Amino acid sequence: MRAPISLKQKFLKKWISGLQLCSTCSKNMSILERKKSIKLSADIAMASARNGRTCWSLALIANASKNDKDKLLVEHILGNSEFQRLNKISIMRPTMSNKRVRCKKILKRSCGTIRRVSKRVVPPKILASCVAKRLSTKRTQVLKSLVPGGEFMDDVSLIEETLDYIMSLQTQIDIMRSLANATELVLSRKNEQW
Amino acid sequence: MNRGSLTEMLHCTDMTVLERQRARLKWQQQDQFHQQQQPEEEEDEVEERSGYFSELSGVFSGQSHVSQVPGFDGGAAAGNSMIGPVKPDPGSENGWSEMVKILVPGFGFPGFEANFSISRTASCPPLAAAAEVKDKMSGAAASGRESFKKRKLDKIQNTKVVVEDEIRDKRLKGCTEEGDSKITDQNNNNSNNNNNNRENSDNNSKENSKVSDVQKPDYIHVRARRGQATDSHSLAERVRREKISERMKYLQDLVPGCNKITGKAGMLDEIINYVQSLQRQVEFLSMKLAAVNPRLDFNIDNFFAKEVFPACPPANFPTIGMSSEMNTNPAYLHHQFNPLQQQQIVSCSGIEMVINPPDMGLRRTISAPVSIPETFLDSSCFTQLQHLLPSSTTWDADLQNFYSLPFDQDRSTTFPSHQPFTGSIEASNLKMEM
Repeated sequence: MRAPISLKQKFLKKWISGLQLCSTCSKNMSILERKKSIKLSADIAMASARNGRTCWSLALIANASKNDKDKLLVEHILGNSEFQRLNKISIMRPTMSNKRVRCKKILKRSCGTIRRVSKRVVPPKILASCVAKRLSTKRTQVLKSLVPGGEFMDDVSLIEETLDYIMSLQTQIDIMRSLANATELVLSRKNEQW
Repeated sequence: MNRGSLTEMLHCTDMTVLERQRARLKWQQQDQFHQQQQPEEEEDEVEERSGYFSELSGVFSGQSHVSQVPGFDGGAAAGNSMIGPVKPDPGSENGWSEMVKILVPGFGFPGFEANFSISRTASCPPLAAAAEVKDKMSGAAASGRESFKKRKLDKIQNTKVVVEDEIRDKRLKGCTEEGDSKITDQNNNNSNNNNNNRENSDNNSKENSKVSDVQKPDYIHVRARRGQATDSHSLAERVRREKISERMKYLQDLVPGCNKITGKAGMLDEIINYVQSLQRQVEFLSMKLAAVNPRLDFNIDNFFAKEVFPACPPANFPTIGMSSEMNTNPAYLHHQFNPLQQQQIVSCSGIEMVINPPDMGLRRTISAPVSIPETFLDSSCFTQLQHLLPSSTTWDADLQNFYSLPFDQDRSTTFPSHQPFTGSIEASNLKMEM
């Protein structure tokens, strides 16, 4: 399913305004710097186009605003009031879930010895399911590392967020590609003329 | 009506992807449902169902006004035949909840044929109905009939549901299990009905709790089949797993090449790969943009500056193969007589997405004196953004076409070989890939 048009419009508007800020801030950047700022502004624009409804966008914005230099950009793209609102939400969430993560670590450590003991007696059927479970948990961990803010999600919300994240990435790519094509064409025609 | 609501939903950005997908699924299913069944039949069934549920509570509370509505007799009897093996104790919570769980899947589904055919045939004259039913179904229907007769006796005596016969018990178990498995099959296909089902079960649980004067916890909308654990932990776990598998299904739709894979691990693998590839694509595209634009200004002003100029003479109008999807688009149909106009719409819609009209006017006045020579250069070659009309009425044209519009092949071949940037070679390669 394609993303609705208004989402694309929103994203593009925000992205362009972010890019304009980037270009006014620093005139001569290296290609890597340029790429970095383009990507950052695109990511933030996408996250802000989601209106802070999803965890991944909040996490992305929070990560970006850690850096002082990027904070300006984030604030510019989001708009001031929106930035304040989202900051409040995103500050509250990770601190709450940080505790949970720590608790899980302790739990794992304490459970590890017990599991080793019980492994010897496991019948093959349960062993197979154990292996399957381990496989899926490993992949879930990888997925958590891929989706921004995924470390703080449980399984159900992780999959929901992944859904949303994939959709937004698709729109983002769609627009980036069309813009790249357009600029490329303009450029190539100019060169041809000269 | 469905179509209207769907489009409404589609235009709403604030919805999450999941909601949108759900809405779409719902819409599709409703569409299918309408195709399958006649409207009046559907209404009948809805009535029957709602009527049935209200009747059901009546039966359980001991008042037998089932007999007042002859059409519902069969349904009620079939329902009771399913209740039979549970042996409900009206006072105890577990009995009631389990009964609800078994009953509701059976009757919440409009397409559940066995039960409905029983109920329909049962309301016919008895002899013909019996013959028909026996022709149609073997074991299940027969047991339904038996319990139907038995039910009538019960009604007369105004007693509770008690099934003494062990053999019939076993048969009924088979019947219910069969029904249940059918339902789970259907469940996989339509989650919409599932939702309906849950609502129904909620209603039913409310009624039941009124009857038994016991407040239910909210886990009632979980279906536990026979033999499954009913303690709160495993129920919660089951709900969680169901949720995950539901979302996984949506993901399966979204991620290409994920349809054939079964098993959670393989699916997660595929999803991970897809997300990684998308992220890499974003990286690559930003790299490409950085390579193409040395000053990060993206020529947006140039795009808009072209608006200042009225349409160029059609002499240097390039021939662009109109794609078929554009021709079928209703927005373009009334413009089809004039290919020039058509293109103007395309280019307008391509530009409109960036900045609002008031913004645009401002921009125009600012950038006009600077970019006049540039736009003349561009307008002769950059066909997509050529010949813009200042009319803002066409700006609402479908934006999507800007994206679906294939950039012409010959243009990518005319890509100059002596580019000042190294990255642009990669860029042209990218085009080949896509």
